[in-house]
Amino acid sequence: MTGLLALRPGRMGSVGLVEPVPTQRVTAEPDDREVGRRFAAGEEQALAWAYERWAGQVHGMAVRAFGPGPDAEDVTQQTFMSAWTGRGGYNPDKGPLPAWLVGVCRHKIADTWAKRDRQRRETEAAMSEAQSMPAGPVTAGVDTAVADRVLLLDELDLLGQPQRGIIELAFFEDLTHAQIAVRTGLPLGTVKSHIRRTLERLRNRLEVDGAALHA
Amino acid sequence: MQHCTPEQLGLAALREPLPDADAAHLAGCEQCRAEVASLQRAVDALAVPQLAAPGASVAPPPGVWAAIAAATGVTAAPRPEVVAASAQASVAPAPPLAAAPRAVEAPAVEAPAVEDPVVEHPAAASGGSVLPFRPRRRPLLLVAAAAVAGAAIGAGAVAVLRDGGTEPIGREPVVDTVAAVALDPLADNDASGRASVIERTDGTRALEVELRAGDLDDRYYEVWLIDEAVQDMVSVGVARSGTVTFELPVGLDLGRFPIVDVSVEPVDGDPAHSGVSVARGVLDT
Repeated sequence: MTGLLALRPGRMGSVGLVEPVPTQRVTAEPDDREVGRRFAAGEEQALAWAYERWAGQVHGMAVRAFGPGPDAEDVTQQTFMSAWTGRGGYNPDKGPLPAWLVGVCRHKIADTWAKRDRQRRETEAAMSEAQSMPAGPVTAGVDTAVADRVLLLDELDLLGQPQRGIIELAFFEDLTHAQIAVRTGLPLGTVKSHIRRTLERLRNRLEVDGAALHA
Repeated sequence: MQHCTPEQLGLAALREPLPDADAAHLAGCEQCRAEVASLQRAVDALAVPQLAAPGASVAPPPGVWAAIAAATGVTAAPRPEVVAASAQASVAPAPPLAAAPRAVEAPAVEAPAVEDPVVEHPAAASGGSVLPFRPRRRPLLLVAAAAVAGAAIGAGAVAVLRDGGTEPIGREPVVDTVAAVALDPLADNDASGRASVIERTDGTRALEVELRAGDLDDRYYEVWLIDEAVQDMVSVGVARSGTVTFELPVGLDLGRFPIVDVSVEPVDGDPAHSGVSVARGVLDT
């Protein structure tokens, strides 16, 4: 019987809109959409508000991926720094700011995995060199999944809606196509064909760029 | 031999269960299996718990903001107590994340055990503004024989109603169950049950809700029919653990309001949905 979500007051009979932070805010503070708009407009206070509201979520993801410590803190820091400097890429009309921040955070997590993998290979290469062994190409032993993730997250960014939202619900919220249909209000057949086409598109990206990467 | 459709193979790559005939074909068809495997590389790379929608919030230590401020030159600053509070505010266990069943091994990452992750507002991550649905892969559908609701079918359904301890409906005795769905618990609730739509020969309909849920002290259960966008809804009535039958408004389009939702309401005089849902099912009408 836990309180799932607080309803936005003033919308009688609606569970459609939710207040992210169920605490009472000072009335002078803008709602999330407004924070998103001001963030996109480059207002510094909006970065501070965004951090107040969503740094916990972002850091929670980073900690889930790397455990508490410097790596997670670095991911959170990089997420907000990139989001701020790259705010021109955020369009408040296309989606809420926290969702966009979560997307940036995924990139930072994938980048950190890739960096670690590169360091591992460099260390191995240095060791084999120190032992006067023929040094293999540095790309030997590259972790395919790590490299795939960086490419695939890039490709997701290129998807339009509703394709992107659909595949994200499948990948990141583990919803079935039927649940996605309910969530998005799209017909089942539409959801199925978008899923199929997006998976093909991702496969193509891996076949083209993934192959080059490992060559 | 008839191959699976490209769409079915896409769903198989996401590890959704296929209809029996497709599943049987897939098990024996090299070509279809190879197709699934080629599509699955992306699924395995991205559908990992580390990249899933946000779970438990964790307040970052103060040094993180200091570094951001130093790098960006931004002088406005978040209030540390608000940052801390936003992480602590996550008390609502949220369903959709769960332990991703199709997780593949993540490289050199020690993920802390987050067994029951917490999402403050899962809608934010998906860009939608809806209540979370727990993954639920087997909606239960009972459509009674489409034959004219003859005495035999009617009698059977009445028997079911009586067995369930329903209150007498008190109109036409002949009824027909036109749809039924299991009500699955949301979040970590243990409420569950079943909802059936009953149609009488005179065309009137009722919703029978069989609810298994704990007793409430100063709150009550309420049953709603909600649209797929989770925006508009119709209150059906007050429920309790056990079986209760509600009259449905004449002309109510169940296709428009297919979600049967059971909420917990405080006795506060506010007729709106509290936002606290404990069980749900989607009618296939």
